[in-house]
Amino acid sequence: MAIKTFTTGEVLTASDTNTYLANSGLVYIKQQTVGSAVASVTVSDAFSATYDNYKIIWSGGTQSNDTNNQLRLGSTTTGYYGAFVYSLYSSATPLSVGDNNENAFRFAGGGASNSAACNIEIFNPFSSYRTRLTSTNVVYSTLAGMYNGVLADTTSYTAFTLLPSAGTLTGGIIYVYGYRKA
Amino acid sequence: MARPNIQIDDEVREMTEEEYEALLASGWTEEGSDGLAD
Repeated sequence: MAIKTFTTGEVLTASDTNTYLANSGLVYIKQQTVGSAVASVTVSDAFSATYDNYKIIWSGGTQSNDTNNQLRLGSTTTGYYGAFVYSLYSSATPLSVGDNNENAFRFAGGGASNSAACNIEIFNPFSSYRTRLTSTNVVYSTLAGMYNGVLADTTSYTAFTLLPSAGTLTGGIIYVYGYRKA
Repeated sequence: MARPNIQIDDEVREMTEEEYEALLASGWTEEGSDGLAD
């Protein structure tokens, strides 16, 4: 049962307390501490039939290069499409770049040697439906933007990999959450 | 030059030659950026 309305004077049982405290909308699945100077980090067993949609956050880490980090599903290295819209801090003019059949979602996050992060929503990675992705914290030292993309296949995925386009990642924790369905 | 590290869950190790070749083929570079205007 997703929700329950308690009435005045009703006994709040331990069972109800445990059930409904756990029935939050966003459910913790797992976390992965990122090692030192890694060119890619794979998180296994992140997606399952339990959830359709997920939130992935990486924070507290750094990147050796001032650039983007990318997300790849399973071992798939083709069929990623998307668009990154961004602006330089020094300019009011919006800019954009397209991903046209790339080998990863190229703008899953970004960072530099002083901080780096990802804030990703990913839709239907486990089902046989095309996986879509939104990332909202693609921030370098000189620019910031947002990215939306789709992977043009119907493969079911359980794992993902974060990898910078250049250099390495160090530290921080990747958190994976699922959006509860009912 | 030593090959970069790869992490799979809690295991961190140096990439194999095959893994490194695949990384390079994907466009990864040790130095550089994504080529966006900045």
